[in-house]
Amino acid sequence: MGVSTPLLGISVLAYMMVVFYFGWLGYKQTKDNDDYMLAGRKVNPFVLAFSYGAAFISTSAIIGFGGYAGAFGLGILWLVAMNIIVGIFIAFVIFGSRTRRMGANLKAVTFPELIGKRFQSRFIQGFSGALITVFMPLYAGSVLIGGARFMETALNIDYNIAILILAIIVAAYVITGGLIAVMYTDALQGVLMFVGMGILLVLTYSKLGGVTEAHQALTNMAYLVPDNLAAVGHTGWTTMPAFGSPTWWTLVSTIILGVGIGVLAQPQLAVRFMTVESTRSLKRAVLSGGPFIFMMAGVAYIVGALSNVYFFNTQGMISLEVAGGNIDKIMPEYINSAMPDYFVIFFLLTLLAAAMSTLSSQFHAMGTAFGHDLYREGIMKGKIGKTINVTRAGIATTIMISVVLAYILPPGIIARATAIFFGLCAAAFLPMYSGAIFWKRMTRQGATASLLVGTFASLFWLTFIHAKEATALGISQALFGVDTILTGTWTLVDPILVATPLAFLVAIVVSLMTEPASKEHIEQCFKKN
Amino acid sequence: MLGITDPQIWVAYVLCFVSAIGCVIYGILHWND
Repeated sequence: MGVSTPLLGISVLAYMMVVFYFGWLGYKQTKDNDDYMLAGRKVNPFVLAFSYGAAFISTSAIIGFGGYAGAFGLGILWLVAMNIIVGIFIAFVIFGSRTRRMGANLKAVTFPELIGKRFQSRFIQGFSGALITVFMPLYAGSVLIGGARFMETALNIDYNIAILILAIIVAAYVITGGLIAVMYTDALQGVLMFVGMGILLVLTYSKLGGVTEAHQALTNMAYLVPDNLAAVGHTGWTTMPAFGSPTWWTLVSTIILGVGIGVLAQPQLAVRFMTVESTRSLKRAVLSGGPFIFMMAGVAYIVGALSNVYFFNTQGMISLEVAGGNIDKIMPEYINSAMPDYFVIFFLLTLLAAAMSTLSSQFHAMGTAFGHDLYREGIMKGKIGKTINVTRAGIATTIMISVVLAYILPPGIIARATAIFFGLCAAAFLPMYSGAIFWKRMTRQGATASLLVGTFASLFWLTFIHAKEATALGISQALFGVDTILTGTWTLVDPILVATPLAFLVAIVVSLMTEPASKEHIEQCFKKN
Repeated sequence: MLGITDPQIWVAYVLCFVSAIGCVIYGILHWND
């Protein structure tokens, strides 16, 4: 690390003080359960857009996927296009407006509660809450690890202590200030991220002689692709991988479709649509949401790929060689060696902001899923009062689970946690959620069947067929003596391509075979308020 | 185009810019709905 630790320490301290000030403001403004769970349903469109984007984009998106672009090239730009078109435009304008309206009609305060009340089913609410409680800590654990690794290298803090410090700092303002604190600190962190990534894009292109010149230099490097990567489909950094190759399947099914579509059914993101007062606010939020995602994901992937040109010009090596074969080190290596010292400090703060903004949203979503949806509504059948303290206890419990997971899980498993969680949400929630807000004929039985089939088909595919997880988990090997029970291309196909269509099909067939909900209830759900 | 020969990549590159700008235009056009 070339920058001075005291200067960085002071910058981090100043940043933390501003974050705590915003957290304290959230605490002061939280008067009742609606404030704590939904920020009072009157959030500013800009705050919605930036907090949604900052919660969506974590350290792993910038470092992990940026490093992926450094290793495999610009094909991942299709994910950016998906994130803007599906993750912002379709999510806000088409899903968001109906979600907000139905949430207000049914007085729902969480994503599982919205679905549960739409289908008049405590089971759906409790099971969805349980699913989030069990699997979101995996995703939060991986973000915690990303943030702690940054603190370890940048501030010389012991890694194990860094995990604890990061969790306690974020927990402090999430538990006290609720969603108001989460969204306002997220928006602040989003602004920091936006500026940091904007500077990074300009500095990179200017260092490499301009846009076309930089791309042309990268195109000319195709002959440098290592043999072992060429063997699995890598054809260069400005070309798509060979069609049908293992690299192509990973890029298209797991990354572009898994994350690109999975974002629609993320509980911690969908709940944000219920925090604004009107459909107009959601349309206004599109204005800043689209450019924000471009400046985060788009810049990370473009810069990650172009780092190859910089390293080849200065050291005669490609990025993957400079990083010693570890793709997670490509972006930090590039920032440290190519960028001026003042920017390195700013970029490290950008990364810390990316980790904290995602963590705070995860902590709030899984805490409310555990305290409100699973415990209060699912287990206690709503017999305990609507106190904020039950939710606070839920948040504290799930944070502890995330911290324990961050300590005990091996790096190989945790790095895949983001994609696993996105894929699982797409299969378990997306068919049920889409049906809930778009199809009046969808029945409780159809929704329940779709939730169960999506969940278990996804978990079965992960455990026994999709090679990356099945091999790492070792359950298939222990039971059947083989890494995966199918062979060939099937082991490369992401669960989202199998479990999600299956869950959609089940939702439609079972709904058409069962009695629809009463006309009065459907009118209550869909009325314009 | 733009130093990128594979149309699958430069279409993605341009689409990122166009969709981000499209979001801005949509937001402005519907600001006073």
